Amino acid sequence: MTNIAEARIRREFKEVVKSDEVAACNIKVELVNDTFNELRGEIAGPPDTPYAGGQFHLEIKIPETYPFNPPIVKFLTKIWHPNISSVTGAICLDILKDQWAAAMTLRTVLLSLQALLAAAEPDDPQDAVVAQQYKENHSIFEKTARHWTAVYAGGPKSYPDLDSKILSLKTMGFEEHQARAALSSKGWDLERATEYLIN
Amino acid sequence: MGNCLKSPNTDDISLLRGSDAGPEVSSEQSANMGPPPPYQESIPIYHPSPNVSRPANQLTEEEQIKIAQRLGLINHLPTGVFDGTSKKAKECCICMEEFLLGDMLRFLPCMHTYHKDCIDDWLMRSFICPSCLEPVDAALLTTYETS
Ligand SMILES: [Zn+2]
Ligand SMILES: [Zn+2]
Repeated sequence: MTNIAEARIRREFKEVVKSDEVAACNIKVELVNDTFNELRGEIAGPPDTPYAGGQFHLEIKIPETYPFNPPIVKFLTKIWHPNISSVTGAICLDILKDQWAAAMTLRTVLLSLQALLAAAEPDDPQDAVVAQQYKENHSIFEKTARHWTAVYAGGPKSYPDLDSKILSLKTMGFEEHQARAALSSKGWDLERATEYLIN
Repeated sequence: MGNCLKSPNTDDISLLRGSDAGPEVSSEQSANMGPPPPYQESIPIYHPSPNVSRPANQLTEEEQIKIAQRLGLINHLPTGVFDGTSKKAKECCICMEEFLLGDMLRFLPCMHTYHKDCIDDWLMRSFICPSCLEPVDAALLTTYETS
């Protein structure tokens, strides 16, 4: 990338490193290699949301056509959110797709993702199961999202009742994350989750 | 590379790049948006819509017309050379470089200014100002009406 993409990322990298948000530990970027085509991002879960207290890691790939096309971003940290795939970490966010504009920056992207954690758009879902739970059983959604934040992103809240359900599936021979994902998508109904895992 | 028009030898490129790249073309030649002759080594890549990139010889007729119209519209936007007198426009928000004396600039109706090469490349993909997201064509029509 001996072009505008690399020159831009060099500048933007400095911009993010110097920004107030970094000073406040809200967002962070790190280089993966010295070709500037891949970075690691990190955002703090916004306060007063199920993601509060968690640190979420992001994979950021810079296309050769950057900034004419958006960076390709996905969550590396597992997260329970209507607009983020609980399986792959893929994100549904307009500015990462057709609403991208060349004057937007890595800082804009990280702050927009943080805003997405604070305000989900369940009618434009990436993960249909999570979106449905968000709309139909919001208290279970919040509890599940908080639990995932604690387990995968270092969040503070633990739920012994959820942990014991996972443990019972583990004793049946299922892998922990698999058990958690099945229980989460079945509203923590042990019977339905077991049925789902067996089939 | 963000260049949608890669080949320096096509007629169309001078529309985008102005006199700084390729030979000058007559308006008769540049109006011809047909596929380039088969002997050409590199075929320019166009972006008929934001996430579609295709070589010039694989565009539908409809897409060719759209691109021709787009090139025409872009050419109606004023250009100029950076002479250091403008205090407002200091940096191009696309490449994030400061303007240097002699740089070719293009001015959008919303008053945002970019390097000509940078913004032309963007406008071929999306006809909105990358800074304020103002649609360029709507604004352009208003400028026509008032002038
Ligand atoms: Zn520029
Ligand atoms: Zn503008």
